[in-house]
Amino acid sequence: MTTSPTRRLRALAGVAVLALGLSACGGGNLGSDDSGENFPDGAINLTVGQDPGGSTDLIARALANPVSDDLGVEVPVLNRPGANGALAAKELASKSANGQELMVMNLSLVAITSLTVPEDDAINLEDYTVITGISEDDYVLVSNADSGLNTIDDLKGAGALNYATTGTGTGSQLSSALLFQLAEIDGTAVPFDGGSPALTAVLGNQVDVASIQLGEAMPQIEAGTITPIVTFAADRNEFLDDVPTAVEEGYDVEVAQARAIVGPKDMSQDVVDQLREAFTKAFETDAYTSFNEQNLLRPQELDGDELTEVWNQSVETYRQLTEEYGIDLGSTE
Amino acid sequence: MDFAPVIDGFGVVLQPENLLFCLIGVTVGMLIGVLPGLGPAATVAILLPITLTVEPVTAIIMLAGIFYGAQYGGTITSVLLRLPGEASSVVTVFDGYAMARQGRAGAALGIAAIGSFVGGTIAIIGLTFFAPLVASFALDFGPPEYTILALLGILLVASVGSGTLVKALIAAGIGLLLATIGRDGFTGSERFTFDVLQLSDGIDFVPIAMGVFGLGEILYNLEDRNNNTKAPTKVTKVLPSKAEIKQSSGAIGRGSVIGFFLGILPGGGAVLSSLAAYAYEKKCSKNPERFGQGAIEGVAAPESANNAAATSSFIPLLTLGIPANATIAVIYGALLIQGVTPGPQLVEDNPDIFWGVVNSMYIGNVFLLIMSIPLIGIFVKILQVRAAILAPITVLITLIGAYTIANSVFDIFLVCLFGAIGYLMKKVGLEPGPLVLAFVLGVLLETALRRSLILFGGDPTGFIGRPISGTLVAILVAVIAFPLIAKLWKSKTKQKELV
Repeated sequence: MTTSPTRRLRALAGVAVLALGLSACGGGNLGSDDSGENFPDGAINLTVGQDPGGSTDLIARALANPVSDDLGVEVPVLNRPGANGALAAKELASKSANGQELMVMNLSLVAITSLTVPEDDAINLEDYTVITGISEDDYVLVSNADSGLNTIDDLKGAGALNYATTGTGTGSQLSSALLFQLAEIDGTAVPFDGGSPALTAVLGNQVDVASIQLGEAMPQIEAGTITPIVTFAADRNEFLDDVPTAVEEGYDVEVAQARAIVGPKDMSQDVVDQLREAFTKAFETDAYTSFNEQNLLRPQELDGDELTEVWNQSVETYRQLTEEYGIDLGSTE
Repeated sequence: MDFAPVIDGFGVVLQPENLLFCLIGVTVGMLIGVLPGLGPAATVAILLPITLTVEPVTAIIMLAGIFYGAQYGGTITSVLLRLPGEASSVVTVFDGYAMARQGRAGAALGIAAIGSFVGGTIAIIGLTFFAPLVASFALDFGPPEYTILALLGILLVASVGSGTLVKALIAAGIGLLLATIGRDGFTGSERFTFDVLQLSDGIDFVPIAMGVFGLGEILYNLEDRNNNTKAPTKVTKVLPSKAEIKQSSGAIGRGSVIGFFLGILPGGGAVLSSLAAYAYEKKCSKNPERFGQGAIEGVAAPESANNAAATSSFIPLLTLGIPANATIAVIYGALLIQGVTPGPQLVEDNPDIFWGVVNSMYIGNVFLLIMSIPLIGIFVKILQVRAAILAPITVLITLIGAYTIANSVFDIFLVCLFGAIGYLMKKVGLEPGPLVLAFVLGVLLETALRRSLILFGGDPTGFIGRPISGTLVAILVAVIAFPLIAKLWKSKTKQKELV
C-alpha cells in the first residue's frame, strides 16, 4: 500500500490544526467586557486544584449543582491538580476577571504551602477576588485504638514517636509539628501522600499517631479502631464533643483547613454580588446542609472582606509560630 | 458465616433498576476504557451528580461497574494500537500487540475478555468468602514491605519484553530517572523542574506511556512506509481457538490468584499484579523465548490479574474504609454523599449495600463478557484501516487523552516529547515497556524506601526485622541469586563434560 506524499502532508496538517485548536481551547477567553450586565455569559468554570474524590473536590461538586440551578448556566467542575493547588491558582490569576472563571481555594495553599516554597511560587490572597467563604474542616490527632495512647500525657510518656502527616506543607504537618514542639514530645514526621494513606499507616501500626481531617477519620473513630486524642480546632466539634481541643489541653495550636470561592483579581462588584448571592442560596439548600453535616464541615460562609481578614490572620499566625519555634515545614525533621 | 445477607444481596441486584444501572455502568466503563486519558476516576467524578437521584446501592453499583468495565476496555487499545491507558495494562502490550501484527488480534482480545471474566469472577468469590480475613493483609503492608515489593517489581521488569537484558536495564534506568522529576515530597526541594510549575508534581504516567508506546510507534512506522509496502494486517480469525484457550487456561488461573492478592494492597497493587503474573508465566513456560513474540499466555495472565486486582481492590474500601486507588477514592466520596459511611461497620450497618455491590459484580462481569465478544469483531476491523487514516486518528485520540488527565495543554507537549523519545528508542532497539514500568515503580520505591528509613531511624537492617518484609527480602535474594547459581552450575557441568 502506498499513499501520495501530498495526502500524507494533508493528514499531518489535519492533526496539527486539531492540536492547535485544542491548545487554543485551554488558553481561556480574554477580552470580554467586565460589567455585570451580561453576566453570566455561558458556563462558569469552577476549578479545583486537587484530584477528583478529595474533600475539596466533593465540596466543589456539592456547590456546583445548586449554583448552576440558580444562575441558569452550566457550572462544570474542572480538576487541575498540581503543587497543592498552586498550579490551578496561578492559571486562574491570569484569566479574565469576568466571573466566568472561579476556583475553590484552600487556606492551606495560602497560609502553609506558601511557607515551604520559593517566594515566586507562593500564592497570595490579594491577587484574587474573594467571592465567599465556604466551610472549615478540623484536624484531629488520632492513634491506633490498641496502642493505649489516649491523651497527650500518654504521648509524652511514650518516648520517641513517629507521626504520619498527609504531606509536606499541609495543615496536618503544621498542627502535629507544633503540638509535638510545644508539648516537648520526641517525634519524627513521616510524610504520606494524603489522608487515606496516613490513616492506613495508623490502622496498620506503621506509625504511632497522625493528624488528619475529621471527616476522613470519623468512620474509623465510630468503629472504634482509632482513638481521637485532640482536635486542633478553636472550639470542640459538636460531633466529637468529648474530645478536647489542643488549646484546652494547654497547647496553643489552632490549625484548620478552610475553603473559599475566589476569582481573578479586580472583578466588578456587580458580578461578585450576583455570585455571592447564588452561592448563599446554595448554602441554604437542604442537600448542601446535610452534605456539611455528613462530612463534619463547619460552615464559614463569610463575605469577601471578612474572609480575607480571617485568612490573613491565619497566614500571620502560622508564619509567626513556625518562626518562633523554628519549625521547618520544608524538611522532615 | 451467615449467608442470608449474601442471598438478600442478589435480591437487591436483580431489581430491574439496579440491573439497568449495572449495565449502564459497565458500558460507560468499557467505552472510557477504550479512550486513553479520561480515566475511570474522572468519569466517576463527572457522574456523581447523577447518582444523587437514585438509591445509594444503585449508585454504587453503577460507579463500580464503570471502574471494572474500564479494565476490559483498556485492553483494546493496548492490543490494537499499542496504547496502554493504564499502568496495569502496559504488560499486555508486549504479546498483545505482537499478536495483532500477526493477524491474531481477535484471539488476543478474546482471550483477554475470557481472562478478565475469569479473573474478575474468581476475585469476587474471594471477596465474598474471605474479605474480612484478607483485609488485615492490606494493613500489614507498611512502607518497608512496599519498598521490597517495588524492588522486586523493578527486577521483574527486566524479564519483560523481547530485547536483551542490558537494553531492558538501560530503559528501566531511564524510567527510574524520570521518576525523580518533581518537588521532593519529603523536603519540598525542587528536582529537575527547571522552574516549570507544571513539573512540580512530576510527570503523569499517561503522557509517558502514550508518547513512548503509541506516538513513538506511529513515527517509526511513518519512516518505514516508503520501503515497506506491507498490506493492512489481515485478521484471520476473530476468536481464540480451542487450542489457544487450553494453552492459556493455566495462565488465567494463576494470573487470577496473583491478581486477587496483590490487588488488595492499596497503591501499586494493580501494576505489580499484572507484572508479576506475566513474569511468572514466562518463568514457568517451557519455551520462554515465545514471550514478546505473540505468546497468548502473555496476554491471558496479566489481563486476568489486573481484573482480579481491580475487584479485590474493593476489599480495603468495603471492609476497612480505605480507598485503594483514585477511582475507589471517588466512589468513597460518593458513598459519603449518599449518607453511607464506608468503613469497618459497613457490612453490619448496610448489608444491602455491601452485598448488593459485591453481587452486582458477578452480573456486571457477565454483561461485559457478553458485550465484548461481539464487539471484538468490530474493533479488530480498525486494523484494516489504512495507516494514513488510522495514524492521525490515533494521534488525535492520544493528544485529547493526554489533555483530559488534568485539563492541561502542557501534557500534550509532553506526549509529543515522549513520542520523539519513543521513536529514538525504537531506532536503537530499546523497548518502552521497561521504561514505563520502572517509572511507575520508581515513584513507589523512592517514597516507600524513604518512609521506611525514617521509621527505622536510618537503619537499613530494619527491613529484615519485620516478618513480611523479611520474607520478601529472602525472595528478592533468591530471585537474584537463582539464575546466577544456575549459570555457574551449568558452566561447571560443562567443564566436567569437557574433561
